Amino acid sequence: MLKGHLDAIVLAALESGPAHGYAIIEAIKTRSGGTFDLPEGTIYPALHRLEEAGLLSSDWTTPPGGRRRRVYALTRSGTSRLAEGRKAWGRFAKAVESSLGGGRTWAA
Amino acid sequence: MGGVIDAYVAALKRDLDFDPALARRMAEEVEAHLWDAAEADPSWPSADAERRAVERFGLARGIAGQFASDAVNRQARRSWIVLLATIAVTFVAMRLRVLWLADAGDGLSVLAPLLDRYAFVAAIGVGSVGWWAFRRSVVPLAICLAALVASIAAGIVRAGLFVDGAPLPVLLAAAGEIALTGLLLFHVVGFGRKLRRTAMLRRVE
Repeated sequence: MLKGHLDAIVLAALESGPAHGYAIIEAIKTRSGGTFDLPEGTIYPALHRLEEAGLLSSDWTTPPGGRRRRVYALTRSGTSRLAEGRKAWGRFAKAVESSLGGGRTWAA
Repeated sequence: MGGVIDAYVAALKRDLDFDPALARRMAEEVEAHLWDAAEADPSWPSADAERRAVERFGLARGIAGQFASDAVNRQARRSWIVLLATIAVTFVAMRLRVLWLADAGDGLSVLAPLLDRYAFVAAIGVGSVGWWAFRRSVVPLAICLAALVASIAAGIVRAGLFVDGAPLPVLLAAAGEIALTGLLLFHVVGFGRKLRRTAMLRRVE
């Protein structure tokens, strides 16, 4: 289930600003309260795929005295896709909640 | 220090050999990630910190497999676009041959236009079915390629029968279809290679 939403989760992790792969993984762990503890390497194919789709841009940066890293940022298309992803997830979550909640009856 | 991380990065680079540029980029990116993770480990500096960073990262083959699968999707998309362009140019070339070349009505000059036409129709038929049902398979693309090669070869034979009088538009269109067929061959071979690599990575994973 997480795999199906990984792209949106990665986009959301970059909403607050550009970040490199390790920082993105840490942000996902923190934002999910440790629930999304996926193998860290799985983030890279997703980042590459999103960049190919034009939803992310990336560039190498070297901070003073630091290690050279590839930093990813949301593009305008990525921001729009994130908004769409949020709406789609909202509808899906509402439907699941209605189905599992028990407080409502099925439509006849 | 660094033996565990270096070995992992070398293995990942090897598994990504289907795309050398991606392999180089990922090796550098993943190495930086693993050092960050190892340095954040409470037992740093130690080989255990490196080992845990590598374990959390996941199997190199699994990650390479995901990249390979994405590469297959991209290659498939590109191959189908090139096939569409080749079909369009071949169609134009065929029409020009019909308009400009008068058939002599004997032997080869009767057979060549038939092969030209029906091999092309076969390419359209197989291509349509392949697009709807087997988009991630190299087989329909390879069949279309063979049919288009047959069609183009027949067209060239036909144009060759009129070497003295073959008009320039016919020759230019033939050159265009030959060039696009070459490009299609390049993509089909690349697609097949990536499919085999993905299957191999999945088997070993």
